[in-house]
Amino acid sequence: MATALSPDETESRLRSHFGRDVVASEEQHGHPVATVTAERYHDVCRFLRDEPELSFDYCDFVSAVDFGPERGFEVVTHLYSNAHHHNVRIKVALPHDQPVCPTISDLYATADWHERETLEMFGIRFEGHPNPVKLLLSEPFEGQPLRKDFALMSREAKPWPGAVEGEDLEDEE
Amino acid sequence: MGLITEKTPLPKIQPVKFLLNWGRRYSLWVMNFGLACCAIELIATSTSKHDFIRLGVIPFAHGPRQADLLVVAGTLTDKMAPALKRVYDQIPDPKYVISFGSCSNCGGPYWDSYSVTKGVDQVVPVDVYVPGCPPRPQALLGGIVKLQEKIKDEDIQEKWASGHSAVS
Repeated sequence: MATALSPDETESRLRSHFGRDVVASEEQHGHPVATVTAERYHDVCRFLRDEPELSFDYCDFVSAVDFGPERGFEVVTHLYSNAHHHNVRIKVALPHDQPVCPTISDLYATADWHERETLEMFGIRFEGHPNPVKLLLSEPFEGQPLRKDFALMSREAKPWPGAVEGEDLEDEE
Repeated sequence: MGLITEKTPLPKIQPVKFLLNWGRRYSLWVMNFGLACCAIELIATSTSKHDFIRLGVIPFAHGPRQADLLVVAGTLTDKMAPALKRVYDQIPDPKYVISFGSCSNCGGPYWDSYSVTKGVDQVVPVDVYVPGCPPRPQALLGGIVKLQEKIKDEDIQEKWASGHSAVS
C-alpha cells in the first residue's frame, strides 16, 4: 500500500543518494525542503520522480526568490506525489549576475511554462529549455519586473506610502 | 441615422433633436468588456434585482458592431489594451464609454504595477467614470443616468464634427 514518507525520511533518502550535493535541508510547514547544487538539480528531480518510494509525479510550481545582489536568487520547485500524497520543495541557489539553472521541463511538462515565467520575471535562464520566450509579459516589455531592483515608474513619482517589509527589523538592530 | 449629414440641418430643429436623443438614450445596447471582479457587479446590474433594462440599457450586445455603449469593468493591463482599442474601434458611432471601477479609472490598487494600464482613458475616450472598488450596481445605475443626461443635451452633428476619436 502506498504510504506517505515523513519529511525526515525523504530527506535521508536524498542525503544518502546525493551526499554533499544536498547543501542544506530543513522542514517547513510539514514539508521537506532541500537545497541542492545546480549541477545535480536535474538528477535530484529525476530521482524524486522515478524512485518508487518517492514517485513525485506532479510538479506543482517552479518559481524563484530574489534575495538581492549578495545572496542572489533561489529557484524553488515544489513537487507532489499523487501516489503517496507527500510533498517536497527543492531549492537551487544561484548568483545574482547571470543566473543559470538546468531545466526540468523534460521531466515535467508543467515546468515548461513555469520556467518561462521565471525567466521573464527574474531573468533566470533555464539551460536546455526548448522554448525560452516570454509567457505573460507583452513583447516590447523590458526588464525583469519581479526583481527587487526593478524600478516601478509610479513609485519613482510617488514613494510607497505604507510600511515596508523588513524596515522595522533594521531599525531595531 | 441617414438623416444626419452636413447638408441636412434636421437635428438642429429642437423637436427633432429631442426625439432623436430621447430615442438614443433609452436604447443603449451595452458591450460587456469585463476584465476583473467589477464585471460581476456589471452583470449583477443587468439581472432582475437591479435590472438596467428599465433604464433602456440592453444586455448584452452580441458583438461590438451591435453595441452603443462600452462598459470597461475591471483591470486593464498593457497587454490587453490593444484589444480594448480594437473593440472600441469596431463599435459604430455614436458610441459611449463608461469606465467602471477604480482599476479602469486610474489603476486603483494597482497604481504602482508594472503591467496595469493606469486609466482606460489613455486608450479610449471615457464619457462617465464610476468610482468604487468594486462599485455597487447602484453606482452603475447612477453612471448610466449621468450618461443619459449627457446624451439628452447632445448635438450629434457637433459630436461628429468635433473629430471625436480615440486617444491613441
